Amino acid sequence: MSAATETPPEAPQLGYARAINQALAEEMRREQRVWMLGQDVGRMGGVFGVTRGLFDEFGTDRVRDTTLNETFIVGAAVGAAMTGTIPVAELQFADFMMIAGDEVFHKMGKWRYMHGGRLSVPMVLRLPTGVLGGVGAEHSQSLEVLGMHFPGLKVALPATPADAKGLLKTAIRDPDPVLFFEHKGMYRVKGPVPEDPEFLVPFGEAAVRREGTALTVVATGLMVGRALEAAEALAADGIELEVIDPRTLVPLDMETIVGSVEKTGRALVVHEAVRTAGAGAEIAARIQEAAFFALDAPVWRLGALDTSIPQSPDLEQLVIPSAAEIEAAARELVAL
Amino acid sequence: MGTRTKADDKAEREGSGQEALGLYREVARIRELELLLNRYIGEHGFGGFWHPGLGQEAVQAGSVAALRDDDYLFYAHRGLGYALAKGMSPVTLLADLLGRQGGSVGGKGGGTVHFVDPERGVLGQGGTVGSSFVLGAGAGISAQMLGTDKVVAIFFGDGSAARGTWHEAALTASVWKLPLVWICENNGWAISVPIAEQSPTENIADRAAAYGVPGVVVDGQDAVAMKEATAEAVARARAGEGPTLIEAKTLRVRGHYEGDKQAYREDVPDGFEMPRDPLKILRETVDAGEADRVDAEVGAEIEAALEEVLAMPPGDPEVVTRGVWA
Repeated sequence: MSAATETPPEAPQLGYARAINQALAEEMRREQRVWMLGQDVGRMGGVFGVTRGLFDEFGTDRVRDTTLNETFIVGAAVGAAMTGTIPVAELQFADFMMIAGDEVFHKMGKWRYMHGGRLSVPMVLRLPTGVLGGVGAEHSQSLEVLGMHFPGLKVALPATPADAKGLLKTAIRDPDPVLFFEHKGMYRVKGPVPEDPEFLVPFGEAAVRREGTALTVVATGLMVGRALEAAEALAADGIELEVIDPRTLVPLDMETIVGSVEKTGRALVVHEAVRTAGAGAEIAARIQEAAFFALDAPVWRLGALDTSIPQSPDLEQLVIPSAAEIEAAARELVAL
Repeated sequence: MGTRTKADDKAEREGSGQEALGLYREVARIRELELLLNRYIGEHGFGGFWHPGLGQEAVQAGSVAALRDDDYLFYAHRGLGYALAKGMSPVTLLADLLGRQGGSVGGKGGGTVHFVDPERGVLGQGGTVGSSFVLGAGAGISAQMLGTDKVVAIFFGDGSAARGTWHEAALTASVWKLPLVWICENNGWAISVPIAEQSPTENIADRAAAYGVPGVVVDGQDAVAMKEATAEAVARARAGEGPTLIEAKTLRVRGHYEGDKQAYREDVPDGFEMPRDPLKILRETVDAGEADRVDAEVGAEIEAALEEVLAMPPGDPEVVTRGVWA
């Protein structure tokens, strides 16, 4: 059966969290060796309800509740992956990667390399990421750039329910380890999601979310929706933004981004992560390396302020880019 | 069951004699490699750090002898006896150590390395010591889920015993009855800090009680005792009864790395001298003539291995970017 990669608009509406759940269920039905582990992923169905129902369908052997122990969750997944099974591990918050730093960045990412390519680590680490509304400085971060900085890890960052499903299925079938950043603020966002169990979204293929000629906006995760909102507002003034969602940062589809910049002559990179040394810095650098002579203005970045996320749900929104800020930045950049 | 005959007794004696000689050969091979590396590094230097396992050969050979060929092994960084005893060739191991193309990691090695042999269950090691505990637990989960009946042996030192990763792995491994055997090579020194300053209890094995698993103290200079203790733990693991912690009391003859003058230590051994030499202890259990024959064979084998490795080209620059992705 050939893989379907496109989402028809008439596909059934499904929430982002349910789309992830569907991907997990389908892949576990397809392949006996796929299993899950994490805190409260079993009986409870996950702190965000993402894995609900899987424990009942697949049992304690394949849906394992662990203790509060990130090094075990990630480390055991690495060991299991190199010995013939395909674990999908969940950390309750992406921030907890720091607790299992050695396991994520050294073991998941380097075991294959260090051992001459003789062992593979086919696993997925699910990482609920981003602001949620009041969960504070250690539960709200966007740390996906770390996956770009440590060779050996693939990084997926779905911005729609369809991509959440299609990218996760691709991640589970990938022979390399994948950091899967699912935005916890988007779990209830609905969109069309194909029911085809062979629906897969390939890695390294950006999605052009909106076509335009005035400016290329490269946005990830939650910022894709905000960039589209900004684009709608600007369209009223005749300024057409092209919005590109890379979907995976490793591999990164620079071809689509550069092609767009060659058309528009301008680029703005937007992410929820801290602006300094975020993925945007890398993307901006690569744009100027590849398309310097096509640029009519400097490449700009919008990201979170260089501060931690405050606990207050109202204040946290001041830290990350808003649709209005994207609109303002785009307007200014187009006028340069 | 018939009556036991004298022929049965003879066969058993010969059988156990063969077993002892086999173990003697493994310890002798590890010793020979240790001495050869020491000599080679002294004469030629070394592109990396070599952490000698001299004096700890019985722990490595004895324990590994109790494993099945397809059982998993996560070895520690002191010496190469673990992987040699598991069946990897001395040629491959030396090639890894000396950064030659014939090594198991294809020329990427050098100094303390990542020997690997998936066919023999040798799953490598991390450079961050003590990181194998959680990985080993994962290999145990795979074995359990796939029903392969495999056991995972995880070696570590008294220094690594301090890592949270052991405690974190032990907690769940015990609850899930994972087929693991932890073998602690307690040589009394975590680099420069003596065990008395690291552990509130005399035995590291005591820590097992907190996790509801057996903790066993074994004479690490006695290869036969190590094999027996490991065999018991392996049987327990294979029967689905969960992990065991074996603490081998052993000793460190050389420095943390070759070249370490051990200025922090008052009882620095003289050269290769050691109070209880595992090779000599084992030699007393086998026929002297047979032992001499094994010694000669082992000497020739290891010498030939070095010669073969020195003729190999060093790692190709191309390997630098190889193996990042599947």
